Amino acid sequence: MEYRPTILTGGDTRSDDQIIAAHNKSVRRVSGPTLPGAEDSPLVIMELLQRLRVKDVMRSRNIISVVRTDSMRFAQNLMKRNNISGVPVLENKRLFGILSVNDIIRALEGGWIEDSCQQHMATNLIVLEEDMPLAFAIKYFENYTFGRFPVLNKDRDLVGIVSQRDVMRVLMKELTDELSRLEGKADIGKTSEPAKSEGALPYYSMRQFVVVRNDLSHAGKAANEIKKMLSDAGVDKKLIRRVAVAAYELEINICIHSVGGTITFILDTEKATIVAKDSGPGIEDVEWACQDGTSTANDWIRSMGFGAGMGLSNSKRVADTFDIKSKIPTGTTVMCTFMLSKGENSKPMCNIQKGEVQ
Amino acid sequence: MNISDIVQVLDGTLVAGGNSTRTVGAVVANDLMSDVLLNDADDILLLTSLASDQAIRTANIVGAMCVVVHNAKPLPQTMCQVADTLGIPLVSSPLSKYESCIRVHEFLSKE
Repeated sequence: MEYRPTILTGGDTRSDDQIIAAHNKSVRRVSGPTLPGAEDSPLVIMELLQRLRVKDVMRSRNIISVVRTDSMRFAQNLMKRNNISGVPVLENKRLFGILSVNDIIRALEGGWIEDSCQQHMATNLIVLEEDMPLAFAIKYFENYTFGRFPVLNKDRDLVGIVSQRDVMRVLMKELTDELSRLEGKADIGKTSEPAKSEGALPYYSMRQFVVVRNDLSHAGKAANEIKKMLSDAGVDKKLIRRVAVAAYELEINICIHSVGGTITFILDTEKATIVAKDSGPGIEDVEWACQDGTSTANDWIRSMGFGAGMGLSNSKRVADTFDIKSKIPTGTTVMCTFMLSKGENSKPMCNIQKGEVQ
Repeated sequence: MNISDIVQVLDGTLVAGGNSTRTVGAVVANDLMSDVLLNDADDILLLTSLASDQAIRTANIVGAMCVVVHNAKPLPQTMCQVADTLGIPLVSSPLSKYESCIRVHEFLSKE
Protein backbone atom coordinates (compact mmCIF):
# COMPACT_ATOMS: atom_id res chain seq x y z
CA MET A 1 0.00 0.00 0.00
CA GLU A 2 1.27 3.44 -0.83
CA TYR A 3 2.23 5.48 2.19
CA ARG A 4 0.38 8.70 2.77
CA PRO A 5 1.63 10.84 5.62
CA THR A 6 -0.93 11.71 8.28
CA ILE A 7 -1.11 15.32 9.32
CA LEU A 8 -3.13 15.81 12.46
CA THR A 9 -2.78 19.52 12.95
CA GLY A 10 -1.14 22.39 11.19
CA GLY A 11 -0.72 22.06 7.48
CA ASP A 12 2.99 21.94 6.97
CA THR A 13 3.75 18.92 4.84
CA ARG A 14 7.48 19.55 4.63
CA SER A 15 9.81 16.89 5.93
CA ASP A 16 11.70 17.64 9.12
CA ASP A 17 14.93 17.94 7.12
CA GLN A 18 13.29 20.58 4.94
CA ILE A 19 12.07 22.40 8.01
CA ILE A 20 15.51 22.42 9.56
CA ALA A 21 17.00 23.58 6.27
CA ALA A 22 14.46 26.39 6.14
CA HIS A 23 15.51 27.46 9.61
CA ASN A 24 19.10 27.57 8.48
CA LYS A 25 18.19 30.07 5.81
CA SER A 26 15.69 32.29 7.55
CA VAL A 27 16.17 32.61 11.25
CA ARG A 28 18.32 34.82 13.39
CA ARG A 29 20.58 33.81 16.23
CA VAL A 30 19.39 34.67 19.72
CA SER A 31 22.27 33.12 21.57
CA GLY A 32 25.73 31.85 20.88
CA PRO A 33 26.35 28.41 19.46
CA THR A 34 25.57 25.74 21.99
CA LEU A 35 28.25 23.20 22.39
CA PRO A 36 27.75 19.70 23.72
CA GLY A 37 28.14 19.81 27.47
CA ALA A 38 31.47 18.22 28.10
CA GLU A 39 30.56 17.91 31.77
CA ASP A 40 27.71 15.60 30.79
CA SER A 41 29.70 13.41 28.46
CA PRO A 42 29.06 9.88 29.56
CA LEU A 43 31.94 7.65 30.39
CA VAL A 44 33.14 5.37 27.65
CA ILE A 45 32.04 2.30 29.52
CA MET A 46 28.54 3.66 30.01
CA GLU A 47 28.31 4.37 26.31
CA LEU A 48 29.37 0.84 25.66
CA LEU A 49 26.87 -0.65 28.09
CA GLN A 50 24.09 1.21 26.37
CA ARG A 51 25.24 0.59 22.82
CA LEU A 52 25.74 -3.13 23.25
CA ARG A 53 22.60 -5.24 23.26
CA VAL A 54 21.93 -8.51 25.00
CA LYS A 55 22.02 -10.22 21.61
CA ASP A 56 25.60 -9.02 21.17
CA VAL A 57 26.80 -11.05 24.13
CA MET A 58 24.46 -14.03 24.32
CA ARG A 59 25.34 -17.50 23.16
CA SER A 60 22.90 -18.46 20.44
CA ARG A 61 24.52 -21.55 19.00
CA ASN A 62 24.44 -25.08 20.39
CA ILE A 63 21.98 -24.33 23.15
CA ILE A 64 21.79 -27.52 25.19
CA SER A 65 18.19 -28.18 26.17
CA VAL A 66 15.70 -30.83 27.17
CA VAL A 67 12.04 -31.32 26.30
CA ARG A 68 9.26 -31.52 28.86
CA THR A 69 8.92 -35.30 28.67
CA ASP A 70 12.63 -35.97 29.22
CA SER A 71 13.40 -37.44 32.63
CA MET A 72 15.25 -35.57 35.34
CA ARG A 73 17.88 -38.30 35.06
CA PHE A 74 18.37 -37.45 31.40
CA ALA A 75 18.77 -33.78 32.33
CA GLN A 76 21.25 -34.71 35.06
CA ASN A 77 23.41 -36.67 32.64
CA LEU A 78 23.19 -33.92 30.06
CA MET A 79 24.39 -31.32 32.56
CA LYS A 80 27.16 -33.59 33.79
CA ARG A 81 28.35 -34.39 30.25
CA ASN A 82 28.44 -30.75 29.23
CA ASN A 83 29.64 -29.39 32.55
CA ILE A 84 26.75 -26.94 32.89
CA SER A 85 24.58 -26.07 35.86
CA GLY A 86 21.23 -25.59 34.14
CA VAL A 87 19.26 -26.41 31.01
CA PRO A 88 16.25 -24.75 29.42
CA VAL A 89 13.18 -26.87 28.77
CA LEU A 90 12.52 -26.10 25.16
CA GLU A 91 10.22 -27.23 22.37
CA ASN A 92 10.11 -25.60 18.92
CA LYS A 93 12.09 -22.62 20.27
CA ARG A 94 9.39 -22.03 22.89
CA LEU A 95 10.72 -21.85 26.45
CA PHE A 96 8.64 -23.81 28.95
CA GLY A 97 10.93 -23.77 31.96
CA ILE A 98 14.41 -24.17 33.34
CA LEU A 99 16.03 -26.99 35.26
CA SER A 100 18.93 -26.09 37.50
CA VAL A 101 21.45 -28.29 39.24
CA ASN A 102 19.57 -27.55 42.46
CA ASP A 103 16.45 -29.13 40.97
CA ILE A 104 18.54 -32.22 40.16
CA ILE A 105 19.96 -32.38 43.69
CA ARG A 106 16.47 -32.12 45.16
CA ALA A 107 15.27 -34.88 42.79
CA LEU A 108 18.12 -37.14 43.85
CA GLU A 109 17.43 -36.52 47.51
CA GLY A 110 13.66 -36.78 47.13
CA GLY A 111 13.71 -39.86 44.94
CA TRP A 112 11.98 -38.35 41.89
CA ILE A 113 14.96 -38.32 39.55
CA GLU A 114 13.05 -40.51 37.09
CA ASP A 115 10.14 -38.05 36.88
CA SER A 116 9.70 -35.95 33.78
CA CYS A 117 11.29 -32.51 33.66
CA GLN A 118 7.96 -30.73 33.33
CA GLN A 119 6.97 -31.94 36.82
CA HIS A 120 9.83 -30.16 38.56
CA MET A 121 11.14 -27.44 36.27
CA ALA A 122 11.00 -23.80 37.28
CA THR A 123 8.26 -22.08 35.32
CA ASN A 124 8.27 -18.65 36.89
CA LEU A 125 11.13 -17.37 34.79
CA ILE A 126 13.08 -14.15 34.60
CA VAL A 127 14.07 -13.57 31.00
CA LEU A 128 15.89 -10.93 28.99
CA GLU A 129 14.93 -9.58 25.59
CA GLU A 130 17.56 -9.64 22.89
CA ASP A 131 17.28 -5.92 22.15
CA MET A 132 17.69 -4.76 25.74
CA PRO A 133 20.85 -2.75 26.45
CA LEU A 134 23.66 -4.68 28.09
CA ALA A 135 23.37 -2.34 31.07
CA PHE A 136 19.96 -3.79 31.71
CA ALA A 137 21.31 -7.35 31.68
CA ILE A 138 23.98 -6.38 34.17
CA LYS A 139 21.30 -4.96 36.45
CA TYR A 140 19.49 -8.29 36.24
CA PHE A 141 22.62 -10.08 37.36
CA GLU A 142 22.87 -7.65 40.27
CA ASN A 143 19.23 -7.98 41.26
CA TYR A 144 18.86 -11.75 40.92
CA THR A 145 21.07 -14.58 42.03
CA PHE A 146 20.79 -16.50 38.76
CA GLY A 147 24.00 -17.25 36.91
CA ARG A 148 22.39 -17.04 33.50
CA PHE A 149 19.25 -15.78 31.82
CA PRO A 150 17.33 -17.05 28.82
CA VAL A 151 17.05 -14.50 26.03
CA LEU A 152 13.84 -14.17 24.00
CA ASN A 153 13.12 -12.36 20.76
CA LYS A 154 10.03 -10.31 19.95
CA ASP A 155 8.11 -13.46 19.13
CA ARG A 156 8.94 -14.80 22.60
CA ASP A 157 11.11 -17.55 21.11
CA LEU A 158 14.28 -18.52 22.92
CA VAL A 159 17.19 -17.19 20.90
CA GLY A 160 20.05 -17.51 23.35
CA ILE A 161 21.43 -17.78 26.85
CA VAL A 162 23.52 -15.13 28.53
CA SER A 163 25.78 -15.69 31.54
CA GLN A 164 27.98 -13.31 33.50
CA ARG A 165 30.98 -14.84 31.82
CA ASP A 166 29.50 -14.02 28.38
CA VAL A 167 29.01 -10.42 29.47
CA MET A 168 32.57 -10.10 30.76
CA ARG A 169 34.10 -11.74 27.68
CA VAL A 170 32.40 -9.43 25.19
CA LEU A 171 32.69 -6.36 27.38
CA MET A 172 36.44 -6.70 27.78
CA LYS A 173 36.92 -7.07 24.04
CA GLU A 174 34.62 -4.18 23.16
CA LEU A 175 36.15 -1.97 25.82
CA THR A 176 39.63 -2.58 24.49
CA ASP A 177 38.49 -1.85 20.93
CA GLU A 178 36.61 1.25 22.00
CA LEU A 179 39.47 2.69 23.98
CA SER A 180 41.82 2.10 21.07
CA ARG A 181 39.42 3.83 18.74
CA LEU A 182 39.01 6.79 21.05
CA GLU A 183 42.70 7.40 21.51
CA GLY A 184 43.38 10.91 20.41
CA LYS A 185 39.72 11.85 20.33
CA ALA A 186 38.68 14.56 22.72
CA ASP A 187 34.91 14.42 22.43
CA ILE A 188 33.29 11.13 23.32
CA GLY A 189 29.91 12.65 24.08
CA LYS A 190 26.68 11.40 22.66
CA THR A 191 25.27 14.77 21.79
CA SER A 192 26.59 16.48 18.75
CA GLU A 193 26.51 19.92 17.31
CA PRO A 194 24.94 19.76 13.89
CA ALA A 195 27.00 20.79 10.94
CA LYS A 196 26.27 24.32 9.90
CA SER A 197 25.25 24.51 6.30
CA GLU A 198 27.26 26.81 4.11
CA GLY A 199 25.82 30.28 3.84
CA ALA A 200 23.44 29.82 6.74
CA LEU A 201 22.82 32.90 8.80
CA PRO A 202 24.37 32.45 12.24
CA TYR A 203 21.30 33.82 14.03
CA TYR A 204 19.84 30.76 15.61
CA SER A 205 20.66 27.94 17.98
CA MET A 206 20.30 24.34 17.03
CA ARG A 207 21.29 21.19 18.78
CA GLN A 208 20.76 17.55 18.08
CA PHE A 209 20.64 14.69 20.57
CA VAL A 210 20.92 10.99 19.87
CA VAL A 211 18.35 8.84 21.66
CA VAL A 212 19.21 5.16 22.07
CA ARG A 213 16.59 2.45 22.22
CA ASN A 214 15.70 1.25 25.73
CA ASP A 215 18.37 3.50 27.23
CA LEU A 216 16.14 4.74 30.01
CA SER A 217 19.06 5.59 32.25
CA HIS A 218 20.01 8.39 29.86
CA ALA A 219 16.58 9.28 28.53
CA GLY A 220 15.60 12.76 29.62
CA LYS A 221 19.04 14.25 29.21
CA ALA A 222 18.06 15.95 25.96
CA ALA A 223 14.99 17.48 27.57
CA ASN A 224 17.06 18.72 30.50
CA GLU A 225 19.62 20.25 28.12
CA ILE A 226 16.86 21.92 26.12
CA LYS A 227 15.42 23.30 29.34
CA LYS A 228 18.82 24.69 30.23
CA MET A 229 19.23 26.26 26.78
CA LEU A 230 15.90 28.04 27.11
CA SER A 231 16.67 29.14 30.63
CA ASP A 232 20.02 30.56 29.53
CA ALA A 233 18.24 32.41 26.72
CA GLY A 234 15.93 34.05 29.28
CA VAL A 235 12.73 32.47 28.00
CA ASP A 236 9.60 32.66 30.13
CA LYS A 237 9.45 29.90 32.77
CA LYS A 238 6.00 28.68 31.80
CA LEU A 239 7.08 28.32 28.20
CA ILE A 240 10.27 26.54 29.24
CA ARG A 241 8.18 24.01 31.08
CA ARG A 242 5.91 23.37 28.10
CA VAL A 243 8.85 22.89 25.75
CA ALA A 244 10.63 20.65 28.26
CA VAL A 245 7.54 18.48 28.76
CA ALA A 246 7.18 17.92 25.01
CA ALA A 247 10.89 17.27 24.58
CA TYR A 248 10.87 14.80 27.45
CA GLU A 249 7.80 12.91 26.26
CA LEU A 250 9.12 12.68 22.71
CA GLU A 251 12.54 11.60 23.93
CA ILE A 252 11.01 8.87 26.07
CA ASN A 253 8.83 7.77 23.16
CA ILE A 254 11.86 7.32 20.92
CA CYS A 255 13.63 5.47 23.70
CA ILE A 256 10.90 3.00 24.54
CA HIS A 257 8.95 2.59 21.30
CA SER A 258 11.47 2.90 18.50
CA VAL A 259 14.78 1.46 17.42
CA GLY A 260 16.37 4.81 18.21
CA GLY A 261 16.47 8.29 16.76
CA THR A 262 17.23 11.93 17.34
CA ILE A 263 15.78 14.98 19.03
CA THR A 264 16.60 18.18 17.19
CA PHE A 265 15.97 21.45 18.96
CA ILE A 266 15.94 24.75 17.15
CA LEU A 267 15.58 28.12 18.84
CA ASP A 268 15.15 31.33 16.92
CA THR A 269 13.76 34.74 17.67
CA GLU A 270 10.19 33.70 16.98
CA LYS A 271 9.81 30.16 18.13
CA ALA A 272 11.26 27.02 19.61
CA THR A 273 10.97 23.87 17.53
CA ILE A 274 11.44 20.26 18.50
CA VAL A 275 11.82 17.63 15.80
CA ALA A 276 11.75 14.08 17.13
CA LYS A 277 12.68 11.56 14.48
CA ASP A 278 13.12 7.84 14.85
CA SER A 279 14.19 5.08 12.49
CA GLY A 280 11.26 2.76 12.95
CA PRO A 281 9.19 0.73 13.28
CA GLY A 282 6.54 3.41 12.65
CA ILE A 283 3.01 3.77 13.98
CA GLU A 284 0.18 1.88 12.35
CA ASP A 285 -2.63 4.16 13.49
CA VAL A 286 -1.34 7.63 14.29
CA GLU A 287 -4.66 9.10 15.34
CA TRP A 288 -5.19 6.26 17.80
CA ALA A 289 -1.67 6.69 19.15
CA CYS A 290 -2.30 10.37 19.84
CA GLN A 291 -5.28 9.70 22.08
CA ASP A 292 -4.90 9.82 25.85
CA GLY A 293 -4.17 6.47 27.42
CA THR A 294 -3.36 4.48 24.29
CA SER A 295 -0.14 2.58 24.58
CA THR A 296 1.71 -0.43 23.26
CA ALA A 297 4.21 -0.39 26.12
CA ASN A 298 5.20 -3.66 27.74
CA ASP A 299 5.45 -4.42 31.46
CA TRP A 300 9.13 -3.54 31.59
CA ILE A 301 8.46 -0.04 30.28
CA ARG A 302 5.56 0.39 32.69
CA SER A 303 7.74 -0.73 35.59
CA MET A 304 10.05 2.17 34.74
CA GLY A 305 7.20 4.68 35.14
CA PHE A 306 6.30 5.08 31.48
CA GLY A 307 3.90 3.60 28.97
CA ALA A 308 0.78 5.32 30.28
CA GLY A 309 -0.08 6.29 26.73
CA MET A 310 0.20 10.01 27.36
CA GLY A 311 3.39 10.82 25.48
CA LEU A 312 2.04 12.07 22.17
CA SER A 313 -1.11 13.58 23.66
CA ASN A 314 0.93 15.43 26.30
CA SER A 315 3.25 16.79 23.61
CA LYS A 316 0.30 17.88 21.51
CA ARG A 317 -1.35 19.47 24.53
CA VAL A 318 1.57 21.74 25.39
CA ALA A 319 2.69 22.69 21.86
CA ASP A 320 1.35 25.53 19.74
CA THR A 321 1.54 23.33 16.66
CA PHE A 322 1.96 19.58 16.53
CA ASP A 323 2.61 17.57 13.40
CA ILE A 324 3.25 13.87 13.13
CA LYS A 325 4.15 11.68 10.20
CA SER A 326 4.70 7.99 10.41
CA LYS A 327 5.52 5.26 7.98
CA ILE A 328 5.97 1.58 8.64
CA PRO A 329 8.73 0.44 8.90
CA THR A 330 10.86 3.53 8.29
CA GLY A 331 9.77 5.51 11.34
CA THR A 332 8.01 8.47 12.83
CA THR A 333 8.72 12.18 12.84
CA VAL A 334 7.02 14.53 15.26
CA MET A 335 7.43 18.27 15.12
CA CYS A 336 6.29 20.61 17.89
CA THR A 337 6.62 24.37 17.74
CA PHE A 338 6.23 26.91 20.53
CA MET A 339 5.77 30.60 19.76
CA LEU A 340 7.99 32.85 21.84
CA SER A 341 6.24 36.11 21.15
CA LYS A 342 2.60 35.10 21.48
CA GLY A 343 0.95 35.79 24.75
CA GLU A 344 0.23 32.13 25.23
CA ASN A 345 3.11 31.25 27.44
CA SER A 346 0.71 30.51 30.21
CA LYS A 347 -1.20 27.99 28.09
CA PRO A 348 -2.50 25.47 30.62
CA MET A 349 -1.10 21.99 30.34
CA CYS A 350 -4.14 20.27 31.77
CA ASN A 351 -7.43 20.82 33.47
CA ILE A 352 -6.46 19.15 36.73
CA GLN A 353 -7.66 21.27 39.59
CA LYS A 354 -5.83 21.76 42.85
CA GLY A 355 -6.69 19.07 45.34
CA GLU A 356 -7.77 16.54 42.74
CA VAL A 357 -6.53 13.04 43.39
CA GLN A 358 -4.29 11.70 40.62
CA MET B 1 6.35 22.92 54.40
CA ASN B 2 10.04 22.86 53.58
CA ILE B 3 12.57 20.05 53.11
CA SER B 4 13.22 19.72 56.84
CA ASP B 5 9.49 19.42 57.49
CA ILE B 6 9.16 16.78 54.78
CA VAL B 7 11.98 14.72 56.25
CA GLN B 8 10.53 14.99 59.74
CA VAL B 9 6.89 14.36 58.85
CA LEU B 10 7.66 11.38 56.62
CA ASP B 11 10.28 9.83 58.95
CA GLY B 12 12.59 10.23 55.98
CA THR B 13 16.23 10.73 55.19
CA LEU B 14 17.61 13.31 52.82
CA VAL B 15 19.87 11.14 50.68
CA ALA B 16 20.84 13.39 47.76
CA GLY B 17 20.27 16.67 46.02
CA GLY B 18 21.11 18.89 48.98
CA ASN B 19 18.82 20.99 51.10
CA SER B 20 16.91 24.02 49.89
CA THR B 21 14.67 26.72 51.26
CA ARG B 22 11.85 26.09 48.80
CA THR B 23 8.46 25.26 50.20
CA VAL B 24 5.76 22.93 48.91
CA GLY B 25 3.40 24.53 46.41
CA ALA B 26 1.50 21.41 45.41
CA VAL B 27 1.63 17.70 46.13
CA VAL B 28 1.61 15.01 43.46
CA ALA B 29 1.56 11.32 44.39
CA ASN B 30 2.11 9.24 41.29
CA ASP B 31 4.29 6.54 39.75
CA LEU B 32 3.44 7.34 36.15
CA MET B 33 5.75 10.05 34.96
CA SER B 34 3.52 11.18 32.11
CA ASP B 35 0.83 11.93 34.66
CA VAL B 36 3.32 13.96 36.65
CA LEU B 37 4.21 15.93 33.52
CA LEU B 38 0.57 16.90 33.12
CA ASN B 39 0.71 19.10 36.18
CA ASP B 40 0.87 22.83 35.84
CA ALA B 41 1.62 23.58 39.48
CA ASP B 42 4.84 25.09 40.79
CA ASP B 43 7.07 23.76 43.56
CA ILE B 44 5.66 20.25 43.42
CA LEU B 45 6.41 17.74 46.14
CA LEU B 46 6.55 14.45 44.23
CA LEU B 47 5.58 11.39 46.27
CA THR B 48 6.40 8.27 44.28
CA SER B 49 7.39 4.64 44.49
CA LEU B 50 9.52 4.89 41.37
CA ALA B 51 13.14 4.51 42.41
CA SER B 52 14.78 5.42 39.12
CA ASP B 53 16.68 8.22 37.45
CA GLN B 54 13.54 9.11 35.54
CA ALA B 55 11.68 10.16 38.67
CA ILE B 56 14.35 12.82 39.20
CA ARG B 57 14.51 13.84 35.54
CA THR B 58 10.73 14.19 35.49
CA ALA B 59 10.85 16.21 38.70
CA ASN B 60 13.38 18.51 37.06
CA ILE B 61 11.17 19.02 34.00
CA VAL B 62 8.24 20.15 36.15
CA GLY B 63 10.45 22.11 38.53
CA ALA B 64 9.60 19.95 41.54
CA MET B 65 11.04 21.07 44.87
CA CYS B 66 11.54 17.56 46.29
CA VAL B 67 11.12 13.87 45.44
CA VAL B 68 10.20 11.31 48.08
CA VAL B 69 10.62 7.59 47.37
CA HIS B 70 8.61 5.28 49.61
CA ASN B 71 8.73 1.89 51.32
CA ALA B 72 12.44 2.36 52.02
CA LYS B 73 13.16 1.23 48.50
CA PRO B 74 16.86 0.98 47.73
CA LEU B 75 17.82 3.96 45.61
CA PRO B 76 20.10 3.35 42.64
CA GLN B 77 23.38 5.21 42.87
CA THR B 78 22.68 6.83 39.51
CA MET B 79 19.42 8.23 40.86
CA CYS B 80 21.29 9.94 43.68
CA GLN B 81 23.88 11.23 41.23
CA VAL B 82 21.19 12.69 38.97
CA ALA B 83 19.53 14.30 42.01
CA ASP B 84 22.86 15.83 43.03
CA THR B 85 23.56 17.04 39.49
CA LEU B 86 20.14 18.61 39.06
CA GLY B 87 19.98 19.87 42.65
CA ILE B 88 16.70 18.18 43.47
CA PRO B 89 16.37 17.05 47.11
CA LEU B 90 15.76 13.30 47.21
CA VAL B 91 14.21 11.85 50.34
CA SER B 92 13.84 8.19 51.21
CA SER B 93 10.91 7.32 53.47
CA PRO B 94 9.96 3.99 55.08
CA LEU B 95 6.27 4.92 54.85
CA SER B 96 3.84 3.80 52.19
CA LYS B 97 2.82 6.41 49.67
CA TYR B 98 -0.68 6.34 51.12
CA GLU B 99 0.56 7.06 54.64
CA SER B 100 2.75 9.85 53.31
CA CYS B 101 -0.23 11.46 51.60
CA ILE B 102 -2.14 11.44 54.87
CA ARG B 103 0.72 12.92 56.87
CA VAL B 104 1.49 15.61 54.30
CA HIS B 105 -2.16 16.52 54.08
CA GLU B 106 -2.43 16.79 57.87
CA PHE B 107 0.68 18.95 58.04
CA LEU B 108 -0.44 21.28 55.26
CA SER B 109 -3.91 21.58 56.79
CA LYS B 110 -2.35 23.01 59.95
CA GLU B 111 -0.13 25.50 58.11
